[in-house]
Amino acid sequence: MTEEKTAPASGSIMVVGGGISGLTTALEAAEVGYEVFIVEKNPYLGGRVAQLNQYFPKLCPPTCGLEINFRRIKDNPRIKVFTLAEIEKVDGTPGNYNVAVKINPRYVNANCTCCGACADACQTEINSPFDFEMQKIKAAHLPYNMAFPARYILSPAIIGTEDARRAKEACKYDAVDLDMQAKSINLNVGAVVFATGWEPYDAAKIDNLGFGRYTNIITNMMMERLASPNGPTGGRILRPSDDKGPESVAFVQCAGSRDENHLPYCSYICCMASLKQATYVRERYPEARIYIFYIDMRAPGYRYEKFYQKLKEDENVFFIKGKVAEVDEDAGNGNVTVVAENAVTGEKVRQEVEMAVLATGMQPSTALNKLPADLKYNADGFIVNDFTKGGLFAAGCANKPADVVSSNQNATGMALKAIQTLVNR
Amino acid sequence: MAEAKILEPDVGFVKEVVGLGGETLKKCFQCATCSVACKISPENKPYPRKEMIAASWGLKDQLVNNADIWLCHNCGDCTTLCPRGAAPGDVLGAVRAYAISEYATPKVMGKMVNDPKSLPLLLGIPAVLILVVGLLFNIVGLDWLNFNPVGDQLWGDDYIANYMVDIIMVPTFFAAIGVFALGLKRFIGDMHANALADGKTAKATIDPRGFVQALIKVAPTIMKHNQFSDCGENKERATAHMMVLFGFIALFIVTGCFFFAEWVLHIDGPYRQINPVKWLGNVGGIALIIGTGLMIANRMKKTDQLSSYKDWYLLGLVMGLGVTGMLTEMIRLGGMYDLMAVIYYVHLILVWALFAYTPYSKLAHLVYRTAAMAYNEYAERK
Repeated sequence: MTEEKTAPASGSIMVVGGGISGLTTALEAAEVGYEVFIVEKNPYLGGRVAQLNQYFPKLCPPTCGLEINFRRIKDNPRIKVFTLAEIEKVDGTPGNYNVAVKINPRYVNANCTCCGACADACQTEINSPFDFEMQKIKAAHLPYNMAFPARYILSPAIIGTEDARRAKEACKYDAVDLDMQAKSINLNVGAVVFATGWEPYDAAKIDNLGFGRYTNIITNMMMERLASPNGPTGGRILRPSDDKGPESVAFVQCAGSRDENHLPYCSYICCMASLKQATYVRERYPEARIYIFYIDMRAPGYRYEKFYQKLKEDENVFFIKGKVAEVDEDAGNGNVTVVAENAVTGEKVRQEVEMAVLATGMQPSTALNKLPADLKYNADGFIVNDFTKGGLFAAGCANKPADVVSSNQNATGMALKAIQTLVNR
Repeated sequence: MAEAKILEPDVGFVKEVVGLGGETLKKCFQCATCSVACKISPENKPYPRKEMIAASWGLKDQLVNNADIWLCHNCGDCTTLCPRGAAPGDVLGAVRAYAISEYATPKVMGKMVNDPKSLPLLLGIPAVLILVVGLLFNIVGLDWLNFNPVGDQLWGDDYIANYMVDIIMVPTFFAAIGVFALGLKRFIGDMHANALADGKTAKATIDPRGFVQALIKVAPTIMKHNQFSDCGENKERATAHMMVLFGFIALFIVTGCFFFAEWVLHIDGPYRQINPVKWLGNVGGIALIIGTGLMIANRMKKTDQLSSYKDWYLLGLVMGLGVTGMLTEMIRLGGMYDLMAVIYYVHLILVWALFAYTPYSKLAHLVYRTAAMAYNEYAERK
């Protein structure tokens, strides 16, 4: 009996999603000896974290955590990464699953040295999904400067056009392969961990907050891109209408979260995200004034609370208890007016600012697209872990709204659950 | 430090508001979306967020005497945007119903009007009253209640004499006015005290002349239903409400004219169809029926707005008044006199109910809301 449990790793684990949770699960399992497949739908690993400017509360850049994880993956022969890949079907029982995986063509093979000649040759430009379409990029591009795998990609939009031919001709290393086709593979694994992550809630659905109608109202994830050195403005925070550095910014908390008309739950991260983003603005524009409109500020735990307290001491940061329920934009100067009732003083506040940030929440990716596996979901679309049944697990934000720290803790736990499935089978 | 305020929660009040249609009030988490969503809410101390917490805490004394609950026209904009499904519009409606029974004496009447179980009794009173008074007149030799009149052109007067109807209705009407006057006196004083305490007005006292001037100033707003059309949701309610309001005004004028004709000029009805006053009466009656019909249809199709007994009571009463009134006329013209008499009798029961119970029913809003709007104007609240 004992022998069985201590036997060397047999069987493998699939991790669906290569964001921070998926990377953690994969590494934790692989580094104790299990074979792991990472299936990632984007052309790169890193997920939402890769799009951030800084983590809270330590304000270090995400490359800090991602880079070491990429290194560990690179060094670990037991991890196999599939990018541009999606699962099509999961059959079987705990300990013995057969997963069909579809891999979409990248049109660039492993010869790529990231020289950039293909991008120079390519004329077509597309909206960068990584930057929430805030900038145009070449149809032949590197997903972002720290992308792992470090390999260019050709957008399917140019396949069959002159541009694709130009990109191919420009490549000295024979890395552009226009004949690449989508292919399906089948993998046998003992357990699957779904770390499918989240989508920023579609702010355009929050009718009274004007996103999409007014240019200078952006979302918190857009703010991350604007503040990021590899973002569309090179890290300078400029408002979209006229590229002006904003002297006043309003943060609209609970934009769609804790709202039965949108996401009924608290998204957990948005209060901290806005506090963090307030520091982005304050750092770049020392005179800027920040107005944070909230229902309740939620800064859970000692470190977050300390971060909040510190920001409260900043005399240019104003906290107003009252949810913004109406917005307007001045067609002339592009300034945004947010309207709320200050529930402490009982006055209606009409605050004019140069830019407004909607602190939109997280919606599990599985709320929008259910996975082709036998999983249980709660009413909001998060995967409910069924530990009695076992075999299939959800980690990170596929399971609940969470910050990076909790996601990693949870992901480690799910790595163990997956290992237990293999060992106890 | 600010002076300590001792709150006096009234749990019974919370329960009553819940019972009157405010069942969602505990869902509120004070995000204040509602105060912004409301297009007619003032800038300083806007409603209904503060009313929601006061209702939830049972702070009756900050609600029943608060003019703001009457400034709300229950359009439902706040309820639509509420992230918690807390329906502030319905809660304020319930608080208003509570305030009405609070200001109308005796309070037990207010309870009865809001209680469906009392409805048979409430309608039974006028039913019996008309018969008893009629029989009493019969005893003294006045033939004012006649179950079997003869003639070939009969009308209501032949069965239930107009003089007797007036003898019953006129005192009832003035009694209702009296109840209103008593309530209003307290209400205006309380409203002012509340506004002073809440920093909503700079006026120290109420100057009656200024108040009347304010009333005159808001009259066109009320007549034109401006507050309705400012609301986002349910703009179409303005039409229905206008039809009912102007229907009532028309019928009130008609009643006054015929009262004058009967008692002063001694001209007996039924009046001819070409009589302009008769036209006004017919138009008023039809407006009443259509307006109420629209309101009922609106409430039936709305799922997010709560309709409770207090709403159906009033709609039923007004619809009943309109229908029995018009039917009485039509059946008389059709010559079915006995049936006409029965429907006329029902009509009179409803008219009496309208007069007698208005100070206790939702319809009392016509007095309290008008007073609150006038006060708001007087207090120069922005």
